Amino acid sequence: MSLDLRQLAERIDEMADRLKVSQGEKEARLQFALGTLRSQAGAADALKRKIAASKTTWLVAGLVDGLDRSRRAPPCPPQFAVLAVDGSHIDVDRHSSTRCYLINIGVAHLHYGENPDALLFSQPGLYFGDEELVIADPLRAHREELVEGGLLGIKRSLEECRMAARLLMDSSDEPTLALLDGSLILWGLGAYPEFVTEILLDHGLLKSLDEIKECSRDRNLALASYISRPRSTDVVNALRVALCPHDPPDCDRHCSGAPPAEGRTCDAVAGVQDRELFDSLLSQGERTPTFISHSKIQRHYRDHEVHFFYLKVDDEIARVEVPRWVAEDGSRLDLVHSLILDQCRRGQGYPVALSEAHERAVVTSADRERFWQLVELALSEKRLPSQSSAKSRSKRTRWV
Amino acid sequence: MPFKIGEVVQASTSQFQAECYELHGSPPFGSLVKTGDGLIDVYAVVYNAATTSIEPGRHPIARGRDEMAEEDIYRSNPQLAKLLRTEFEALVVGHREAGCLRHYLPPQPARIHGFVYVCEPDEVREFSRSFDFLRLLLDARVPASAEELVAACLRQASQAHQDPRTFLVSAAKEVVILLNGQLDSLNAILRRIKA
Repeated sequence: MSLDLRQLAERIDEMADRLKVSQGEKEARLQFALGTLRSQAGAADALKRKIAASKTTWLVAGLVDGLDRSRRAPPCPPQFAVLAVDGSHIDVDRHSSTRCYLINIGVAHLHYGENPDALLFSQPGLYFGDEELVIADPLRAHREELVEGGLLGIKRSLEECRMAARLLMDSSDEPTLALLDGSLILWGLGAYPEFVTEILLDHGLLKSLDEIKECSRDRNLALASYISRPRSTDVVNALRVALCPHDPPDCDRHCSGAPPAEGRTCDAVAGVQDRELFDSLLSQGERTPTFISHSKIQRHYRDHEVHFFYLKVDDEIARVEVPRWVAEDGSRLDLVHSLILDQCRRGQGYPVALSEAHERAVVTSADRERFWQLVELALSEKRLPSQSSAKSRSKRTRWV
Repeated sequence: MPFKIGEVVQASTSQFQAECYELHGSPPFGSLVKTGDGLIDVYAVVYNAATTSIEPGRHPIARGRDEMAEEDIYRSNPQLAKLLRTEFEALVVGHREAGCLRHYLPPQPARIHGFVYVCEPDEVREFSRSFDFLRLLLDARVPASAEELVAACLRQASQAHQDPRTFLVSAAKEVVILLNGQLDSLNAILRRIKA
């Protein structure tokens, strides 16, 4: 039986009503946040110090060059390339008779200028060995984590970056933007033991980032990741620090008890997202100053510490993340800004190379089904048991 | 050396579909093409061509508002050439087996992935010395009318002959016989092959 939407109609109406009621309050908070941002713009150094000394329970953006100075994009170079990599995966199916997962990496390498060209391809990889299915602590034999679910998502990010590094090593010298989808920060690692971070980040992602940085040594090359419709509040949280009556702010010390009836001072901007803030401040094609993300996992990132800026493209504010070596080099940052904007113009509001890489990477439910059929066929050809779980069989063979 | 234009992607005894190697690189409507495995060459007349997205769910959208020329759209969007494909369909009108040219259907359909070549003028001339193949074209159900197809085929073939007008007059006489009494169809073809 499919979803009975009639039963939900009333609740959907209720939800819309509640959103309408809260709209006015949200707008007031946004206006207050904008006022706070403007008033703090002239005192950015003081705020920077206050942020550095603060101990908050939320992530606060580090300031690099102010709060509200917007930048226009410089023109694109006459000749350039954009290399976008995206991935998708088929997770381990515990109902299947065999443990394995698949990562499909999609690539779009687009060249613009004198000799326009496009390279579009995908590279699927199948992982089935014990060393691929499990991440083991090299120091304590009994500690290990299964590569599935969230951890597989992280592993996929690594493979995307590895592919970008590999392709950049063999690419031509024209100005190039390597573009990844989503965040450069492997947020999910926080949920796993430290040895997982060491293996996947220190010896994984950062190794590829090192290679990309090495590639950029003698050429105009930049790396960035693109987040469409971000929900982050790092900059709004910086305003919360500005609003905090305590100096330095210390959430646990000053606000650990039940919140006062009238709310905390910083709650005046609660619920506002960075993209709403900058949607009001930026003109078409402009970007914000760069900020630093202060997540805990950033301690591992060394010279790749992730910086970010927001960019206004058509009706959307996007978040663009770059490693420090890009953020601190004006010409590379300009390249990121101008090429992402150009990509969005060519791609109806979203970077065309990322969109094509996604098209190559995507694994449909039909692909998934065929993949598992192929696995079962291979097992039965080798006369291996290919018994799937009763639940899996019941889903595939529906009966009345 | 005949020009290799594409590859068979679907085939039956009476027709085949081929994908062009070049975007928009379809042979002209009504032209003679051939494909073969060395033992049997299959001859066919192009009756339809289309350029579409390689993925059924992704439709091309208008992109040229700010471009001066159509070519600029492809320069600004280099991926387009990889996302679109041109295919053409051709009606089988004859075959050559053991060196012998025959103006009727071959024993086997064209092979999938068989290379498709545009026939050289010599070969077109040789093939169109007989008009027996016209019956296959007239009887075919094609998106464009059979009259359009026959006329286009004769116009194309006439270019391979030293005296195109004489060729067309002979062809017209054959068409009169084939369309015995079907004046509308006859008129439609004759009007379309008039120089």
